[in-house]
Amino acid sequence: MSQKKESFLSKYVFSTDHKTIGKQYLFFGMFFLLWGGLQAMILRWQIAYPETTIPIVGHLMFPDTNGALTPDTYNQVLTMHGTVMLFWAVTPLLSGAFANFIIPLQIGAADMAFPFVNMLSFWIFFLSGVILLLSHYGPGGSAASGWTAYPPLSTPVGGIPGWGQALWALSLVLMGTAVIMGALNYITTIIRLRAKGMNYLRMPLTVWGLFLSSILNAIFVPIIAAGLIFLLLDNVLGTQFFVAGPKATIAGGDPLLYQHVFWLFGHPEVYILILPVWGIVSDLLSTFSRKPAFGYHVTVICMCIVTTLSGLVWGHHMYVAGMSPLLGKSFMFLTLLISLPTSIFFLNWLGTMWRGSLRFETPMLFAMSVVFVFGLGGLTGLYMGTITSDMYLHDSMFLVGHFHYTLAASVLMSSFAATYYWFPKMFGRKMNPLLGKIHFWVTFLALNYVFFTMLTVGYAGQHRRLFDPSAYDFIKPLMGLNRNISTFAFILGGVQILFLFNFFYSMFKGEKAGRNPWEAATLEWTVDYPVPHGNFSTPPVVKCGPHEYSNPKVKGKDWASQTEEIPA
Amino acid sequence: MSIWGLPFPQDISTNGHLIDALIQYIDLVLVIFFGIVVAALVFFIIRYRSRPGHSAVYDKGNKIGNVIFAICMGLLVFCSIDAVIEHMSFRDLKDVFWNFPQGKNVLKIEVMPQQFAWNVRYAGPDGEFATADDIVAPLSQMHVPEGVPVVVQLSSFDVVHSFYVPQIRIKQDVIPGMVTTTWFQLTKTGKFEIACSALCGNGHYKMRGMLTSESKEEFDKWLAEQATPASSGDDIWGDTSSGSSVPKNWGWKWQAKS
Repeated sequence: MSQKKESFLSKYVFSTDHKTIGKQYLFFGMFFLLWGGLQAMILRWQIAYPETTIPIVGHLMFPDTNGALTPDTYNQVLTMHGTVMLFWAVTPLLSGAFANFIIPLQIGAADMAFPFVNMLSFWIFFLSGVILLLSHYGPGGSAASGWTAYPPLSTPVGGIPGWGQALWALSLVLMGTAVIMGALNYITTIIRLRAKGMNYLRMPLTVWGLFLSSILNAIFVPIIAAGLIFLLLDNVLGTQFFVAGPKATIAGGDPLLYQHVFWLFGHPEVYILILPVWGIVSDLLSTFSRKPAFGYHVTVICMCIVTTLSGLVWGHHMYVAGMSPLLGKSFMFLTLLISLPTSIFFLNWLGTMWRGSLRFETPMLFAMSVVFVFGLGGLTGLYMGTITSDMYLHDSMFLVGHFHYTLAASVLMSSFAATYYWFPKMFGRKMNPLLGKIHFWVTFLALNYVFFTMLTVGYAGQHRRLFDPSAYDFIKPLMGLNRNISTFAFILGGVQILFLFNFFYSMFKGEKAGRNPWEAATLEWTVDYPVPHGNFSTPPVVKCGPHEYSNPKVKGKDWASQTEEIPA
Repeated sequence: MSIWGLPFPQDISTNGHLIDALIQYIDLVLVIFFGIVVAALVFFIIRYRSRPGHSAVYDKGNKIGNVIFAICMGLLVFCSIDAVIEHMSFRDLKDVFWNFPQGKNVLKIEVMPQQFAWNVRYAGPDGEFATADDIVAPLSQMHVPEGVPVVVQLSSFDVVHSFYVPQIRIKQDVIPGMVTTTWFQLTKTGKFEIACSALCGNGHYKMRGMLTSESKEEFDKWLAEQATPASSGDDIWGDTSSGSSVPKNWGWKWQAKS
């Protein structure tokens, strides 16, 4: 396979090599991460300095209003920030870039089970992103009903004109199609193409996380796709599946049906994003603590339990939507049940570092910071998962802080960890460690100020999605803190330029990395850069688990690759 | 003051303290468990940092003792956090928040929000809604007497809104096509803001109402004053920005709640 002559197009554009597709997803995800980040900066500018010209990008993006936001463009930017970050930044990074690049290499496969479908999946994803971006320039601008797009606001009855909502739904359906294709590919690859000796309980936890995440994708994305097709019909054909009340002209619609369908997908989506994070962090903590992942089997079982429960808790997003008491209580019980397996594997993270020999390389710093931010994100979930405290904190800035700790902080910190960690296998060079550490500390501190202070103002009563929060007297005293959040958000955004510089500089000028710069045990580190199309010259045979670090039976080094026999 | 740096807003209701107490309990366990995590992290970073002469202990943590310890810790977390807050929350829901007061002294109010205002309706002398003697308050004005249980039924005219008064600690979504219910009893007089906490369109950020809490006498006087203009036939809903107005007879028959 590797000897075949390839043209530029088939090698870099329409490649079926999982590593190339992984890199394509990486650049695609990074582009949208920047786009979504820019939108966050614009939102924070509006909160801090309402209705003033946004520096640098203002005149370019909002020429009609002197470069300032208006309530309608604010809602558009808010909607696109959420949508882009979740579905076009974080999803392609985790379920696209890392899943593609890592799964075949770590299980010892030559490629994905369906390389052509893999390529097709990326280009459908790409198309969906183009449609979403272009919706900004269509009549009426982009969608403006929040990333949750609750009808009837997201239908013609909602009074938001233009094509934005329809294009939003269309691009999400396309994106969902790409994700389903990817997920089926990953599941098949993991089940069918594991190397000899790579049984399920020798798979790295990263693969476990991506495996479970793909299963959730394959089950739940079709549900939201169906819901979004109905929403699309409501928008373009005048049906009213999700419209009721005095404004409905056709009987039988139900806005709550959409909320159920949305969250039946939407809550597993949280775990779709967080399961790969758990896997990556578990593996990295083990590698850089030079110690096997503590309680590997228990961690795997806990991840499976969480995966199962994740489909049974969606109602906790709807506690204040007029839910029947019986349903409310059931959802609350199931939601809080998740803390049991979660706290057990969280303990295993600490167990991995306990009595280890911790190497504070850049990926390790990011991985350890996930223990911190996910701890806070998980614990603040208790407030949201309990009905009576949710009555007060629902739709508040406290909620915004909570899900940014779990989704933004945990997912991005682990994505950075993964990028610094696998960069040598992707590009043959290491990223600069000094720049990496500066990037880490500024990101970590700024991010915590931003999200913690969101919890603070939410606790004091501020609700969310406000064009100008000072319209309310009870929020006026909180405006100083809101401006501080903005300042630190700009620092957080600004320091990512350092990351980008490091990324592209190191790609060409970074220190050359050997085959195994981190002295890691998993299979991807047994092949030299550049890894050829087809990966392994001879199919690897796996002889031990993924975390053989500091095993006293292995002489001369503190690790053993999965292809090595551990002496008896 | 709280662990988050700011206190709750003032509590003006008989039941808000139940929610505050639950939240403060979660604050407490969060400090304990997150404190343990941070302390462990700091300790590990110092004690187990890689350095010459120090090596890791080969321990897979898969001995039966490790597993039992992990499960015990999980159960400890579950029993000390989840079981307690579930108990508190279930109790408060059953006794208070989902136990809507009945009887003669209860004030019933119907609310129909629209983009971007609150329509408020009182039953009038006959005690029945959707009748000719209903009293409609001026747009976005809700008056209630202090010390009287108030049951509010809500249904939206257009999109999903959410009724939120920070000082009462209550949010209740308002859905078109169905009626949702909440209740409260105030302990203080004064003027308090009603906010819409669910994104409902361009005017969401200024969909502000005013809740006036006053003595029973002042309230009765105010209600009597409203009775005349509401039945005069003037269209007082014309000044909203949504373009279409709520019809004058928007009320519904009071929905019985268990």
